[in-house]
Amino acid sequence: MESVKLSEEVAARIKAMHDTKVIENRKKVERFGGKYNTDDHGFICFDDFKFEPEYPAGYDIMFGARCIGENLKRFFNEMPVYIHPSSALAGAWAGFFNRDFVNIGLRPEDVPAHLHPTHEKYGLYPGIGGMNHLGPDMEIGLRLGYPGLLEKVRYYQKKNAPAGEDFYAGEAAVMEGILAYTENHMHYASQLAKETADPWEKENYAKIAETLSGLISGPPKTFRAAIQFLAIFQSADRTYFGGGALQQLDELIRPYYEADKKAGILTDEEAIWMLASFLYNDTHYSQVGGQSPDGTKELTSPVSYLILQAAHELAIPHNLALRVFEGSDDKLLRRALEHIMEKGTGVCFSLAKGIEEGYVKQGHPIELARMRANVGCNWVALPGIEYPLQDVTRLNMGFCFVHALNDTMAAGAPDLDKLWANFSKHLQAAVECIAEGYDWHYEVVSRNTPELVLNLFCHGPIERGVNCASGGVDILNLNVDGIALATVADSFAAIEVRVVDEKKLTWDEMYSTVKNNFKDAENIRLMLKNIPRFGHPESKSLPWALRIRDEFVRLVNENPTPKHRIRVVPGMFSHGEIYEYAKNLPATPNGRFDSDPISHSNEPDPGFASGVISFSPSLKATAVALAQPGMGNSAPLHLDVDTNMIRGAGGIDALVALVHTHNQMGGTRINLNCVTPEQILAAHENPDAFPDLVIRVTGYSAFFSSLSKDYRQQVVDRYLK
Amino acid sequence: MAVAKIFNIQSFSTTDGPGIRTVVFFQGCNLSCAWCHNPESRLPDAPEAFIQEKCIGCGACGAGGECYAQARIKTCREFTPDGLFRLLEIDLPYLKNSGGGVTFSGGECMLQADFLEEMVKICSEKGIHTAVDTAGHVPYEWLTRVNPNMFLYDIKALSPEVHKKLVGVDGVLIWENLEKLLRDGFRVQVRIPCVPGANWDELPLIFEKLRDIGAADVELLAYHRLGEGKNELYNLSGKEVPAFKPPTKKEMEELWNLLSFPRK
Repeated sequence: MESVKLSEEVAARIKAMHDTKVIENRKKVERFGGKYNTDDHGFICFDDFKFEPEYPAGYDIMFGARCIGENLKRFFNEMPVYIHPSSALAGAWAGFFNRDFVNIGLRPEDVPAHLHPTHEKYGLYPGIGGMNHLGPDMEIGLRLGYPGLLEKVRYYQKKNAPAGEDFYAGEAAVMEGILAYTENHMHYASQLAKETADPWEKENYAKIAETLSGLISGPPKTFRAAIQFLAIFQSADRTYFGGGALQQLDELIRPYYEADKKAGILTDEEAIWMLASFLYNDTHYSQVGGQSPDGTKELTSPVSYLILQAAHELAIPHNLALRVFEGSDDKLLRRALEHIMEKGTGVCFSLAKGIEEGYVKQGHPIELARMRANVGCNWVALPGIEYPLQDVTRLNMGFCFVHALNDTMAAGAPDLDKLWANFSKHLQAAVECIAEGYDWHYEVVSRNTPELVLNLFCHGPIERGVNCASGGVDILNLNVDGIALATVADSFAAIEVRVVDEKKLTWDEMYSTVKNNFKDAENIRLMLKNIPRFGHPESKSLPWALRIRDEFVRLVNENPTPKHRIRVVPGMFSHGEIYEYAKNLPATPNGRFDSDPISHSNEPDPGFASGVISFSPSLKATAVALAQPGMGNSAPLHLDVDTNMIRGAGGIDALVALVHTHNQMGGTRINLNCVTPEQILAAHENPDAFPDLVIRVTGYSAFFSSLSKDYRQQVVDRYLK
Repeated sequence: MAVAKIFNIQSFSTTDGPGIRTVVFFQGCNLSCAWCHNPESRLPDAPEAFIQEKCIGCGACGAGGECYAQARIKTCREFTPDGLFRLLEIDLPYLKNSGGGVTFSGGECMLQADFLEEMVKICSEKGIHTAVDTAGHVPYEWLTRVNPNMFLYDIKALSPEVHKKLVGVDGVLIWENLEKLLRDGFRVQVRIPCVPGANWDELPLIFEKLRDIGAADVELLAYHRLGEGKNELYNLSGKEVPAFKPPTKKEMEELWNLLSFPRK
């Protein structure tokens, strides 16, 4: 499908939303102390808006479905109304309910204090109480509409009574709040339609009011109404614990597009404007492209192209993923790559083979695996039937290595076999602690912080009266990310090369130098650091990386939660928090100083190419593909390609081949930026001079200028080393 | 077994032949182009580079030890054909998926023709497309013996006196070899570095000559400054390297129009 030529009027409306977003982003950065290290997020800073929470008697923390539901209902009703004058849609959210307005979480007696010593020992982020990391099935909502959803809650409340009394009270309150929020915006749009003198704005506000009126009384019937429905969901979902998942967006809204086109009430240009308005509303994660469950139909449609164009024209952070599979039509892929070459960033690429084959290994049919859409920073999920809790639980294997090295040296007569055995022992202890913590999560999270918004869009929770995290949906497979792979692999390899093979250092010399954080021993640090590292084709780190990956995967697979026997699934994603996760990690034998960042996900460290081997995207991609955890959860490849190197006719062809090759080799996801090193350096030096520059940081994209220096440095390092 | 000196292996190149290429840069060159991007490759053996900002002053180099700070680097390494192929095959899936292959460059890779012949044979047996990037100042039979899938053939000047001034040889053999390759049906892409202040005035003459001898595949390469500073880095003595200015996009467009060959 050719790009749609936009009229000056529509282009100007989209540009107006872009410009407002840049201004709003600056306000956010100011509000959060000069940095905002995550998605741009679509919320608006309503500085005057305050909320008075009502906590359970005797507590200063909010928990429980009814209590949270009642507070959320009031919050939604009190939230300021917002309509951008150039937007087709109403609504904006005002910040995270949990982060910015109330103290919410596990009540004190449900906090697993007995696990804290192990968490601390291994630097674990155990995921207990983790929220929102599942994907909804928005078709449930689009078919029932908001009033229908409330009716459904009341129906099952009555049917199942007295079971789930607290749960249903909370769910009904949330739905009433969302309806109130919708109604408030309807009145606001009507008021604006009356007040404004501009004929186009008057008509647009009236149309928004009419659309909202329809949503108050029933399910959406038009493309615009469906998009408005989803925008309201985005605002509600983000408000409560920062939910950010949608699903396969093009297929979700295609029926409305086709019906309106057939009826002659929608043009492609209008659709792009509406989609841009939707993307302005929030950076929820969604997917375009892919295959039908039976594998016979490609899901790319004109709507897929319109979504891509809307994102490209709006040119603000967004979190769209394009699913690529073997045999997929490359036209959409090429369009996406052209956009990235032009603007520097765009969609990420979700790769079918590794995701699907890994999911099949978990014992699921391939038909289900094909339905797992990319709806998170790195993660995929089945819409509405799976609770995967990805991207919240981290096991920093660097701590296991440090404990192993200490134990090995303390026992005397060290060698690599003993070091490995100790590493494996500590890794097992950490994995078992995560599994035990997940039992705890399963038991306590639902009585504290149920997924009151997402439950409405899942198959099961409302029908069963059970929160999705505790059996409300059919599939529970809880992720744990093993991180610092290259840090540990390079540490093993550095000892092998410099201590065991070359005998340049004794074990004691190596250990005392590392323990002293390389004080007055820069030459030894560089000796250890500058071996051919993971990613280098001649590196001894690769066998270590694969051995560590295999051990981690084996231990996680063999350790479901001990009490409830819930499956735990290995992943390898560190998010961008490689500084945060390393802040308490002592120096390591790969030449890394105490508290310096760990390696990212399962990627090589920047600077791995050396000697006659120059860095190339394919070298990095190969290392990431080889070291995938392979169980259906993605470990992303971050590719930052110097645009100078891929200009010309062959550039897009080469990137197409790169994406397909990574897919064939088992890679699961690619986050791609294409700018020049000069551009990124200039923006790093003076970020405020580049307020429009959008970069894919890890799985999410953000304005580069809103990131902290450390976060910007990550991106710069990927370009320059 | 033949052994070659290699100073760089760059995978995922998109500008050195069709598709994604892994480019192998051979040490040693028999020309001395005024604008050379890789002056460190001219000598038969790689000179040592010294990067002041990386030096930690440990004194290891003075005592004959290894420089772990990588302030003193000598990148050139010897490879056997099998050893080199082990590195090249890592990128095989990318090469095959893109219709790409391996490009042998330099320096002047043809100066190590025995090794190159063996490498081309190994690659061909594995179904990998091969290209040889050469300036062509070697006996013609060396070129035909190596026999890659295509030649990337560098032409820098036409007039013998200008040729001699710019690259150190008069270019007669280079042009003769090009004509023979075209005559004998080898696949040849002629590549012309376009350097304002050096060969710029020669370019119209080159274009005319190429038309006369039936060259159909021509690529114009805008001069860039990536090689600047390398003489100092590698402590290379010799003639003063003039500072050339890269051509503008507009100037390159005008050249393409003047060339009037199909643009790939």
